[in-house]
Amino acid sequence: MLNRRSFLKKTSIGAGLLAAGSFPLESFAGGKEKKLTILHTNDVHSRLDPFPNDGGKLAGLGGVAARAALISQIRGECDNVLLLDAGDMLQGTPYFNMYKGEPEIKAMSMMGYDACTMGNHDFDAGIDGFARLLPFAKFPVLVANYDFTNTPLEHKTASYTIIKKGGLKIGIFGLGIELEGLVSGAAFGNTKYNNPIPVAKAISEKLKRDEKCDMVICLSHLGYEYETNKISDKTIAKETKYIDVIIGGHTHTFLDSPVIQRNAGGGETLINQVGWGGVRLGRLDYVFRSGKNPELHRSHSVNINKETSG
Amino acid sequence: MRLRLLYISVLLLAVIGCHKPYYISQHSSRHYTVGKDGKADSSYTRFLATYKLRMDSTMQIVIGYTDTNLTKAQPECTLGNFVADAMLQAAKKRNNNVVAAICNYGGMRIPYINAGNITVGRMYELMPFDNALTIIEVPGKTLVQWCNHMAAMKGWPMSGISYLLQDGAAEDIHVNQQLIDENKTYLIATNDYLATGGDKCSFLTPLKATPVNLFIREILIDYVKALRKDNKPLHPYIEKRIRYAE
Repeated sequence: MLNRRSFLKKTSIGAGLLAAGSFPLESFAGGKEKKLTILHTNDVHSRLDPFPNDGGKLAGLGGVAARAALISQIRGECDNVLLLDAGDMLQGTPYFNMYKGEPEIKAMSMMGYDACTMGNHDFDAGIDGFARLLPFAKFPVLVANYDFTNTPLEHKTASYTIIKKGGLKIGIFGLGIELEGLVSGAAFGNTKYNNPIPVAKAISEKLKRDEKCDMVICLSHLGYEYETNKISDKTIAKETKYIDVIIGGHTHTFLDSPVIQRNAGGGETLINQVGWGGVRLGRLDYVFRSGKNPELHRSHSVNINKETSG
Repeated sequence: MRLRLLYISVLLLAVIGCHKPYYISQHSSRHYTVGKDGKADSSYTRFLATYKLRMDSTMQIVIGYTDTNLTKAQPECTLGNFVADAMLQAAKKRNNNVVAAICNYGGMRIPYINAGNITVGRMYELMPFDNALTIIEVPGKTLVQWCNHMAAMKGWPMSGISYLLQDGAAEDIHVNQQLIDENKTYLIATNDYLATGGDKCSFLTPLKATPVNLFIREILIDYVKALRKDNKPLHPYIEKRIRYAE
């Protein structure tokens, strides 16, 4: 505010506008502000159709047709939209047993997903089974802590991607859960799991400091939080400095609003997760201002809207 | 004036060429319940139609019915008792010395099956994994360890075993209605996922295991079909296989 005022004082345009009696501060600041909307899903588990109308809690909810309608409506209302998934896209309905993931991935491509990470159940048709689906994916699969050397996925996934949207530079990377004891060895083959903490530290730092991304997003299938010391989204948020948002999965946690965690750099990392089965679509709206982050803005202003209907 | 214009254009080019930094000044959040407003994009329905037609022709077949709402809950639940009872029955047909069945809570993938008809598809949703039945020889000591593991995980489906759940541990363990004997070896039916160490059951991997070439899902389907043949509904109930300390 102070900066803006002194800037206005120094410019003749500002003075002229002030003199004219109109003070279109918002529109004047428009060039300095950018908006980004992040839409996200996790643990959809092959739920292509809505839940059956059996009188149950989730009856009639979810399904790709409804999700796609919602997404296009939001895209019509917002300029810069990112659509992300935090893994376990596959397994859970007979679609997967019969077609091994083809309609799931094709539908995600049709909806215009920008990126996803891999969940443990995305190995359920074997690592070669997942590799066979990649030609249908028009979006990158991001996993930074799995080493796929000597597997059918070698060179077919990426650690991170950088997406430029409306002048914003967004770095996105993925983290996968420990496979041993969770996925059968036959399914994950030679995949090597690396500790996600040092990986997350290195990649988020690279994205923020070297690549100068305005925002760093982590797509995580580690799980929201555990009673044990198992590595979770909470752990990643606490141990790293440069992650703005963690879009989580695995624990099927319905967070009614995102959780804000103080990170290792003293800033805030937001964690969100939207349950499972595609019954919920998460939405995070960000306003960016140009320039460097002044210390004042360390604590972001939060406005949580708990409205749940589309 | 001309020079100034040149300066401005050079400056503009420089700005365009390198990324202008932005920082987060505000954020807000909300979420949508998908499908609540009844809107749907019909192009997706059309896209799914061909897949669905072939799928439904096998999955919509009714195999029996349940007169009870089957629900997934801990420590003990009707859905879990159904699964464990079906596993024990199938294992006993292969080896009558099998005394109990155990499966992991997370292996059940839907929260409920309402009273009414049961379709093949519902069984696929309940047990989508291609996990096979496995019979393992479990020393009494290891079975105690397994029960404690299940208790620490807040209770798993089992048939033929009961225990008292106290402070995350299993007490007063009974197998086949008799107090567990740590020196005895028990034949237990489970799935190959647990037998190979899944869900932190690494203590099972050294044990002698006999795989049965039968998916758990097929066992469930056969169990429901057999009941229907006898004109019986599926009717599992909570019978305090797992009791809380009073």
